[in-house]
Order: sequence, then C-alpha cells, then structure tokens
Amino acid sequence: MSGLWTDEERALLDAMLNCLIPANPERRIPAAGDLGVADFLAQRLRREVELGSAIKTLLNGAPAHADAMTPQAVTALENEFPAEFRALLSVTYMGYYSRPDIRALVGVGSHPVHPEGYEVESESEALLDGLTAPVRERGRNYRDTGPIRKS
Amino acid sequence: MASDPVDVLIIGAGASGAAFAWSLLETRMRILCLEQGSHLHDSDFPSRNQDYELSRYGAFSCDPNVRRLQQDYPINSEESCITPVNWNGVGGSTINFLGHWPRMKPSDFRTRSMDGVGDDWPVDYHTLAPFYEMNDRNTGVSGLAGNPGYPDYAPPLPSIPMGRLGRKLARGFNELGWHWWPSDAAILSQPFDGRQKCVNAGTCDLGCAAGAKGGTNFTYWPILERAGVELRTECRVREILIDESTGLASGVLYFDPDGELREQRAHLLAVACNGVGTPRLLLNSVSEQFPDGLANRSGMVGRNLMFHPLTGVSGVFDEPMRGHEGPMACSILSQEFYESDPARGFLRGYGLHAGRSTTPMTFALGGFGIDDPIPWGAEHRRIMDSVYPYLAGLTVVTEDLPEPHNRVTLDPKLTDSDGIPAPKITYSLSGNTRRMLRHGAERATEVLLAAGANKILKGDCEKVWWRAGWHQMGTCRMGSDPANSVVDAWGRSHDVKNLFIVDGSIFVTSGAVNPTSTIQALALYIGDCIKSNIENLFD
Ligand SMILES: Cc1cc2nc3c(=O)[nH]c(=O)nc-3n(C[C@H](O)[C@H](O)[C@H](O)COP(=O)(O)OP(=O)(O)OC[C@H]3O[C@@H](n4cnc5c(N)ncnc54)[C@H](O)[C@@H]3O)c2cc1C
Ligand code: SF4
Repeated sequence: MSGLWTDEERALLDAMLNCLIPANPERRIPAAGDLGVADFLAQRLRREVELGSAIKTLLNGAPAHADAMTPQAVTALENEFPAEFRALLSVTYMGYYSRPDIRALVGVGSHPVHPEGYEVESESEALLDGLTAPVRERGRNYRDTGPIRKS
Repeated sequence: MASDPVDVLIIGAGASGAAFAWSLLETRMRILCLEQGSHLHDSDFPSRNQDYELSRYGAFSCDPNVRRLQQDYPINSEESCITPVNWNGVGGSTINFLGHWPRMKPSDFRTRSMDGVGDDWPVDYHTLAPFYEMNDRNTGVSGLAGNPGYPDYAPPLPSIPMGRLGRKLARGFNELGWHWWPSDAAILSQPFDGRQKCVNAGTCDLGCAAGAKGGTNFTYWPILERAGVELRTECRVREILIDESTGLASGVLYFDPDGELREQRAHLLAVACNGVGTPRLLLNSVSEQFPDGLANRSGMVGRNLMFHPLTGVSGVFDEPMRGHEGPMACSILSQEFYESDPARGFLRGYGLHAGRSTTPMTFALGGFGIDDPIPWGAEHRRIMDSVYPYLAGLTVVTEDLPEPHNRVTLDPKLTDSDGIPAPKITYSLSGNTRRMLRHGAERATEVLLAAGANKILKGDCEKVWWRAGWHQMGTCRMGSDPANSVVDAWGRSHDVKNLFIVDGSIFVTSGAVNPTSTIQALALYIGDCIKSNIENLFD
C-alpha cells in the first residue's frame, strides 16, 4: 500500500510490529511486521484518522533506522506515548489474528466457523452418569420455598 | 397522522416482546410490534467470513457505543464501572446472547424473608415453573435432568457436549465435593423443530448462523409472523401517550423508517425494551399527569439497576483444552456457593460458570468484555504459544442486590439519531458484591488446581469486566405496594392500567444466573394473567 508512508517509515513500522508480535521460528510462526500487518493498518487508516496520527507520532519518536528498533526502543515509545502506543497495539493484534493462517498456527481452525464449525463429541450417558453421580449422591443443594401467601 | 388502533402494541422485538406476543396469539387480538432495528439476513452473520473475529470490534460489537449502527442508541456509562451491552433488532439481545439458560432458584424470589436483603417478589418459582417449561419447549433447550440444585424438571433435549474443558473441571469439582452440573443451554444438541443442531462454532456472540441458538429471531418470530402478528421494523418509539381524561395509555409516537413521526394508537401496551431501554422510554414519556416520567409515581422508574458483576480466573493445563470449540458460555455450572451462608462474609451468593475460552484475537485483546490487551514482545509469543491453548477458566457471576442509587436517568445532552434523549447509567459495586467476587475467585482457584491446573492466572477482582452489562434488571421493579414499585404481580403498571412491562426491568432481585429464561417465563406468565383476566382487565 503506497503513499501513506515513505520506504523508511514503512521499514520502521515493520520493525516495530516485529517487536510487538515476534516470530516463533521453531514453529514457523511469522512476526507481525514480516506478515504484512502494516497493510492491514493502512486499510484501517482510511476509516480511522486518529490511528493514522497515532502511528505518525510513534514513527516520529522512533529511532532513525529500523535496525535500532529494539524492544527497548519500543518500550521507550510505549512510555512516552502511551495512548498512541495502545491504539497501535490493539490494531496490530487485530490485523495479525484476523489472518486465518495465523489462527491455524495457534491451534484454531482457519476456516470461517460457520457453516462447518467443529466436531465435538458428546459425552455418553454412562460417562455423564459417572461424572454426576457424586453430585447426585450429596442430594439437594437449594432452599425451597412455600407458595406466596396472598394478603 | 394517527392510525387505526390495534388491540395490543408491543414495543421491542427481543426476548420478552416475542414471548409475550406468542402468549397472546390464541386471543386472536390484533397485535403489532414496533422495533427500532431490523431483521438480520443470513449473509449478515460475520461467522461466515474468514476474518469473523474483527466484527467483534466493529459492527457486531455487543457494545452499542462501539457499533453505532443506525438502530442503536448511545449509552452514557461514564459514571459506571460496567457498561450495558445489547443488540437492537428483531431478536433483540438474543441475537448476540450466549444461550446460557439457568433458571432462577426458589430462594431468589424470597430474599427479604429468607436472608433479610433485597425484597420478595410478588410471584414465586413454583408459579413460574410451568412457564419456564413452556418456554423451554418453544426455545429448544438442551440440558440434563436431575440437577439437585433445583426442584425437579427435565429439559426437552439432551445436554450439549461439555467438551474436554468441561470434563476436566467437573472432575475438579468432584475432587472437592462441590456441586456442578452440565449447563442448560438455549442451544440445540439435536435438530429440533426444523432447526439445525449446534455446530460448535464457538462464536455465539456473533449471531448464530446455524440457527441452533434460541434467539427469538429463530424461535418465536417466524411463528408469530406466520400467525399474522405485524412486526414493523426500523420504527423507534419516542414516547408513550396518555389520554388525560381516562388516565390510560392511548398509543405511542414513533419514528418510521423514513424518519417521519407517526402516532399509533392501541388498547393495551406492553414495553419490552430491556432494562435500560424501558426506563429510558418511560422517562422520555412526560405529561401533565406524569411530569417525572410515565408510570413513575413511585419514583422507582430507572432505580435499582442490577447487572451481574463478574470476574474470571483461568488455569493452565498440561494438554490443549480446545476451548474455542463449542458454545461460548455453556459447559458446566457450579452453584455450590449460590445460597446464603453469612459465615462467608456476604449475603446471597454466586455461580461458578465454566464457559469455553475464546478465539485468539479476543484473547490477545484481553478477553470477551474486557479491553486490556495481553503483553507484547517475547511475552506475547510465549503466552500465545504456551498458555492460550492450554487454558480453562471459571467465571464468578455474582448476585447484584437492588440499590436505589444504581440507576438509569436521561442524559441532558446525548441523544440518538432521532434526537431522543439517551440513557445515562450511574452504577457502582457494593461491598457485598466485592466480597463475593473475592470469595469466588479464591474458590475458582481451588477448583482449577484440583482439576490439575499447573498455573493460575487470576484477574484483578477489584476490576470487574467493563462490557459485562449483558443482563439489565430491576429498573421498573414489581411489587404489591405502589409506593415502592412500578408494576404489580402481573407486570401491569400501578399507575396506568393498560400499560404492561414484560422485560427484565421488572425483576425485584437479580439472582446469580443469566436472566433470559426467567424473563421469558415471566412474559408468558404475564400474558397468561392477561388472558385469565381479560373480562375486567382495566378495572
Ligand atoms: C453479548 C450478550 C450475551 C448474553 N448472554 C446471555 C446468556 O448467555 N444467557 C442469558 O440468559 N442472557 C444473556 N444475555 C442477555 C439477554 O440477551 C437479555 O437478557 C435478553 O435479550 C433481554 O430481553 P429483552 O426482551 O428485555 O430485551 P432485548 O432482547 O434486548 O430486546 C429489546 C428490543 O427492544 C428494542 N427497543 C428498545 N427501545 C426501543 C424503542 N424506543 N423503540 C422500538 N424498539 C426499541 C431493541 O431494539 C431490542 O430489539 C446476553 C446479552 C448479550 C448482549
Ligand atoms: S456454537 Fe452453536 S449455538 Fe453458538 S453460534 Fe455456533 S452453532 Fe450457534
């Protein structure tokens, strides 16, 4: 998505996003910047002007080069611009986890949940009987009342 | 321009309005329902899209202040620690409700005489029992008979799967010798009445695209519309009118879909706008006879607002819990600490609800009903990879006692898109509730450990969930004494004889269970009282 950020800004933003949600190389789970979450942010900016200025503020306060965008540098931004940082963080989580491929990597179906849903086995009668037996054995656990007296 | 009067005018097409209309069907009266929202079509359900989770933070948020759709009205919650949530449209909040379906218990209706707090209801559990049963059949309720927590009853369908998470926690409760039972759910465990069974999608708050959840958009409304009940959508009622000569309600003024103000006359009116919408409408209906709002001679309209404040505790287990699979709120429910025991340091009690865990985005953003993102950076990676899949949690759902200072008023400035004054919420937690939340969090921890959790993640019990205003009750309470209640034992206004209120506003106390089975049982009961007294209804 062009026009919103210069190449340097985009590199900085990607580096910042990589710090927010880093990769898990062992499980081949990509970091947020590498996944392209900045494109998702760019789409949101069209509707959310405030998010645009929050990102600008953070980029203006960031180190000059993407290489210097370490977790320490991001913590400094969080402390200096807490509201802007919080806005970016929430939308980053939205952009990252709205990706079906990422959902699958954290153990959740990548498909739209309807109409397919998930297969969940029902407990058999015998299992339910066995599990609830101790509860039934202890007997009633509510206080009953008589009918209301009409005055 | 005034239209021909109808026999019955219902305002609001949600849980209570639909059940009430159904109850009156056999009278063959002309029934009209005005609803500010519209029908949802199949393609509108976000769970059919790849990025379904995003809609929870936009057009399908449960918070009208986030959604800001045409049919929504804003709610000023700046003076409250909980904000009300809802859905405005055909089905009302049963569109995005989670279908957890516990009944209230006998003692819930007698808290003053049994425990010295709250007030007694002018009806009791046993009077409502046949209406609970009728409503369970109409809705398609799944559950397991024989729960020792209640007088005997049997849900019409077998219980929905508890899932791995529910079975694990059940064993924890058994270990401690505490009560639990598979949750009753307004969710189909089997095909029923032409509706499909639940596919365990786990996104019940995004509307059930399968039609398995017992929203009145799937249960009552298709029957009602086929039977000739007129449902006018995108019609927002501004105020209820009073005939100064008879003192009876004569009809309403409402905005039609084109924004035109119209009058609709009626012989009998029923308000079903939920616990915030109903007092808002009455307070907006001022006249010479009712300068402080309609049916408000007691001054109780808007007061005694009750939610169910809640907090959560989660445990990390050794195997994946697959908590995102299955209906969100319903797995098992413990009522071990439901009844009063003064030795615990509080009165009345709470339930421990084992729902399921949520989807990754919502978890990362803090959980359902919370705006508190989990940490970023390396810790984020660790939590999502090594904690999230292994979680099972318990929610402590407390009874909220009625307190007059917790209330709905009208905001002096804020309005909806038709210029109608919006509601303002003033609400704080009582010491009793705080003690309950703390007690509940400790007991929940014990259960999770007994069930095998290797680590406990505790929320801050002083900080209740912000978007937990799912249940809105008490703001037009029932009672026998017109000096301190708004409606009588069958939902009729003490002040205006042809005005009925049929939603959760009329609850006297809140119990510690989700309210909708009771709201609908009450609506059916009120309908039944009207039918039995039809000859001299307005005497
Ligand atoms: C996210 C969520 C989860 C929930 N989970 C559960 C659960 O698991 N179990 C449970 O028991 N309950 C649950 N609830 C609560 C449940 O949805 C409500 O208790 C129930 O729907 C209340 O019924 P009602 O008829 O009073 O109001 P609603 O169902 O909200 O219907 C009120 C209707 O009135 C309309 N209306 C309001 N004002 C006007 C006006 N001026 N003119 C015209 N129309 C108007 C609204 O548009 C709305 O459609 C949940 C609610 C939410 C939001
Ligand atoms: S989990 Fe079941 S009830 Fe909930 S939305 Fe999916 S199909 Fe409907």
